[in-house]
Amino acid sequence: MAAIVSRSTQSGRPRGPSAWAIIRLVLRYVLLVILALLFLLPFYLIVRNGLAAESEITSPNWTFFPSTLHFENIQELFKDTEVPFLDGMVNSTIIAVLQTAGQILLSALAGYGLARIAYRWSNQVFYAILVTLMIPSAVIFVPTYVIVSYLGWVSTLQGLVVPGVFSGFTTFLFRQFFLGFPRELEEAGRVDGLGYWGVFWRIVVPNSFGIIAALSVITFIASWNAFLWPLVIGQDSSAWTVQVVLSNFLNAQVLNLHELFIGATIAILPLVIIFLFLQRYIVEGYKQSGLKG
Amino acid sequence: MQWVFPIPMRMLRMHFMVHATVGLDIRYVFKIRANVQTYILRKDEPMKSVGTTTPAEMLDLREENQKSVQRVRRQSLKTALIFWSFVGPMIIGLTVFFYIPILWSLILSFADARATLTPAGWVGLGNYRAMLGDPEFIRALVTFTIFAAFIVPTTLLSALGLALLVNSVKFAQGFFRSVFFLPTACSYVLASIVWKMSIFNGSSFGLANTVRHTVGLDPISWISSPNPPWYWLVLVTVRLWLQLGIYMIIFIAGLQEIPRELYEAALVDGARRGWQTFRHITFPMLRNATIAVLLLNVIAAFQAFDEFFNIMSGGNQILARPPLVYLYNIALSDQNYGYGSAGAIILTVIIVIFTLIQGRFLGFGRSE
Amino acid sequence: MAQDQRLFTTPLSRRRFLQYTGSMTLGGTILAACAGTSGGGTTSNPSLPTLQQWYHQYGETGTHEAVLRYAKQYSKANVKVSWVPGTGNEYPNKVHAALLGSNAPDVFELQNPTVDQVKAGLIEPLDDIIASVKSDFNPVALKPLTINGKVYAIKMINDMGMIYYRKSLLQKAGVQPPTTMDELITVSKKLSKGSVKGLYIGPDGGVNALSYILGWAAGGDFISDDNKIVFNNDNVATAYEKLRELNASGGVLPDAPTFWWDPSAFTQGLSAMQWCGLWAMPGITKALGDDFGVIPFPAVGTQGKPATFFGGWAEMVAAKGKNVAAAKEYVKYLWIDNSNIQIDWNVGYGFHVPPRLSIAAQASKLKSGPAAQAVGYLNQYGHATPPLWDAAMDTTLTDAVSNILKNGANPMTALNRAADKCNTELQTLLS
Repeated sequence: MAAIVSRSTQSGRPRGPSAWAIIRLVLRYVLLVILALLFLLPFYLIVRNGLAAESEITSPNWTFFPSTLHFENIQELFKDTEVPFLDGMVNSTIIAVLQTAGQILLSALAGYGLARIAYRWSNQVFYAILVTLMIPSAVIFVPTYVIVSYLGWVSTLQGLVVPGVFSGFTTFLFRQFFLGFPRELEEAGRVDGLGYWGVFWRIVVPNSFGIIAALSVITFIASWNAFLWPLVIGQDSSAWTVQVVLSNFLNAQVLNLHELFIGATIAILPLVIIFLFLQRYIVEGYKQSGLKG
Repeated sequence: MQWVFPIPMRMLRMHFMVHATVGLDIRYVFKIRANVQTYILRKDEPMKSVGTTTPAEMLDLREENQKSVQRVRRQSLKTALIFWSFVGPMIIGLTVFFYIPILWSLILSFADARATLTPAGWVGLGNYRAMLGDPEFIRALVTFTIFAAFIVPTTLLSALGLALLVNSVKFAQGFFRSVFFLPTACSYVLASIVWKMSIFNGSSFGLANTVRHTVGLDPISWISSPNPPWYWLVLVTVRLWLQLGIYMIIFIAGLQEIPRELYEAALVDGARRGWQTFRHITFPMLRNATIAVLLLNVIAAFQAFDEFFNIMSGGNQILARPPLVYLYNIALSDQNYGYGSAGAIILTVIIVIFTLIQGRFLGFGRSE
Repeated sequence: MAQDQRLFTTPLSRRRFLQYTGSMTLGGTILAACAGTSGGGTTSNPSLPTLQQWYHQYGETGTHEAVLRYAKQYSKANVKVSWVPGTGNEYPNKVHAALLGSNAPDVFELQNPTVDQVKAGLIEPLDDIIASVKSDFNPVALKPLTINGKVYAIKMINDMGMIYYRKSLLQKAGVQPPTTMDELITVSKKLSKGSVKGLYIGPDGGVNALSYILGWAAGGDFISDDNKIVFNNDNVATAYEKLRELNASGGVLPDAPTFWWDPSAFTQGLSAMQWCGLWAMPGITKALGDDFGVIPFPAVGTQGKPATFFGGWAEMVAAKGKNVAAAKEYVKYLWIDNSNIQIDWNVGYGFHVPPRLSIAAQASKLKSGPAAQAVGYLNQYGHATPPLWDAAMDTTLTDAVSNILKNGANPMTALNRAADKCNTELQTLLS
């Protein structure tokens, strides 16, 4: 509430902010900065470990700042012939892009259909989709694998991508969003003679950039970080995703922690960049919706 | 009586259209029923004069009747087609990759199926009885019901608080939003390693014990010591760190959807900024977002897996073992698919029940 | 000991791969690197059968190249090797799933076959290839691989665990390496000074590392030769009580960045002693020179004997494969006939004991010093559980020991309850 309240304070009341308001603002920023530092701390530790010597990650004389920074760890990672790190990044990118595009498209369609088309079984269909969220996936894992294997999709791109395209979770979030979508806009479109498809593509989608961007980011991240499915379906090192590649550094007899952490740092970078980039669109999406000033 | 129908059907159709634009809402369903009833009551009178209707009129009426039935059929067929063109692709995919496996699991839960997905024999409710008589599974269920009762409100309030806080500042809002959302980008495995190895390591090093050391305190075995149960601190912090971002974003999205005029109007009406506007405007307007976050949270709490699996290893597992970790061991390691499926169905039923209870309180099913 | 390694492996159906790459433009990108990294497939001869072979990812440098080399050397089939990464049970779980699918690997390693897999007809008996040399294997090593009298897997490596100790630290504290459980407790305590602790047995108080070892060291066992659950007795209960005592003594390092199978807590000086595997010995030698010694886990109580586990990996053949006969022949080539490969695989990277006794005797790296002692401990004190002891019973036992250690459960009560549960499972397996 505070946001809007403070905004309206500025617009609605010409007199300057009171001392109390200033103190409150300062306190808010202090709190935000403290929380931000806490939230960034684990990232610092990942980078710290990535640039530390192996022994300094687990040393009994652990220090917050490593004694020297080993940037050569980065080179070591890319030169490591055992682990196709770069290939993993490329594979993850292809898979995550395809999966995100497919999932957002299908989920937005389904979410809109469920929210707005008055089909008599629409609620039953919605509950059926909701149930997929509640099923513990670890237990249907094996039947799903067997189905995919009989489709001949093991070790194929479609085997890695397609099962992840269908998401009850994203559909559910889109439906919740579209339920709150301003009806006046849709009605205006209908007055102009648009059908459901026309309304969806010309009015709903252009006014939903915010949610599309937000859910794309979430989907992309989930796809990028998926592990068990790519591990089981990708049966050759050339089909490893970056998460599977990273798990190479974490096996039994020999731990290679500095490469794991520097690899993890580099693997997170695309996500950070994507988010920072889409951040703009999320904000813009709200502006474009026209109603929300 | 047949001829009575045309007009109500037409009315229904009109309401149907209202429906389509307004969205399904229970109130409209009631309205339709009420209208139909009034119409039928009103029509009682003409019914008495049925005998005076000429055959030609009868024919006319019948024709109109048929046409209108056709219209309605065409209309509902059209709606169905449009609906399925939107929802169909998703349902087809879910059928292949979810419903068939789920059905398969359901069938296996009544069967003896070890190291095979083909039922080797039927055991009726045997798997269910055994699972419900398994003290470790029951312990996991009880632990995670308590866990859910704690983590769901904690996550909800933290995410809402964070969203309000971030949304309340103008300068650098994008930066803070990004910072709080970033942990979402971290994989559970990596976060677990950082928590277990670099933050809450139980030996003399690691961040938490280094801090304790500098203020002269003894190191704590954060993860392995059963008493006091510090491991919950480890597990809850890593979960909040990983998950708050998404829920915060959902709330911020909701917050930014609230028309500013509402607040202005409320202020003009003399409402006080702060709690009053929050209670009467912000929170009610966040209803959809809150419902989404709550539902996802309850499911996430009962399906907790990754960080528990990765942090509580070996003999520590028993301290905080989610039902899903227990079932994962049965299904994937022990290959006892029948027994594991029964456990999965039980867990699913519990999640459904909690969702329904929650729906009761929040009116989640209002769109019926 | 099901956990002495965490592993992964993957096979690749190359033909199917290519089939799809041809039809998918984007698929090409992912799969293009295939030829470059998977190895083994570049010299395929179309007239020979094609075999998929899966390994879990071994950690030691050079192991991946080694298995590709072995595959290439073999002239009677085109062998495609998949090297599966991952942690915990992800590798075995992947094998379990693959065995039910349409493209199971022809040849794969697991720690042992299970009764359920045999009942479901998933794996092939290998008696014909092992028959002539069966007596050249330690009977204890064969025990986990034999179901209803048939051998379903050929052992590739033997693993074992023991206590490593720093000679210099023991000397400084004026103590001798412990020979009984009680001594282990007192010595650990004496060796603890400040942040350096006496003993490291994993971050879970030793449940994972020692649940079985303690039972055996107390003179007990878990399932008898006539298929009875036998761990619920006073000796075994006392052993777990001693574990509780050991943890409460203050001599145990409660946590370290790594699990017990990684030697870094020991090599970095966090603890003076550590329970670890023979596989870690080359690394420990590199870090500490000759400032270390090894002892078996000491006897518990008067009826006890020192103990270790007979672990490791074994090669199996999928019964539903397209080339079962060729797969068997390949397994025979690798782990029965070819002594060079067996020696290279066992001692060329980490240290393991070649399962064939005659070949173990040829491995010069295992003939002197602590490595030779380790081989002796394995042969003298090595134990294993039979296939009838399955993963469900393993979970049950682990839970019971965890409850004793963490939740203060009464040992005998906890063991009796666990034995009941194991019995139910056993009856299902036997039926």
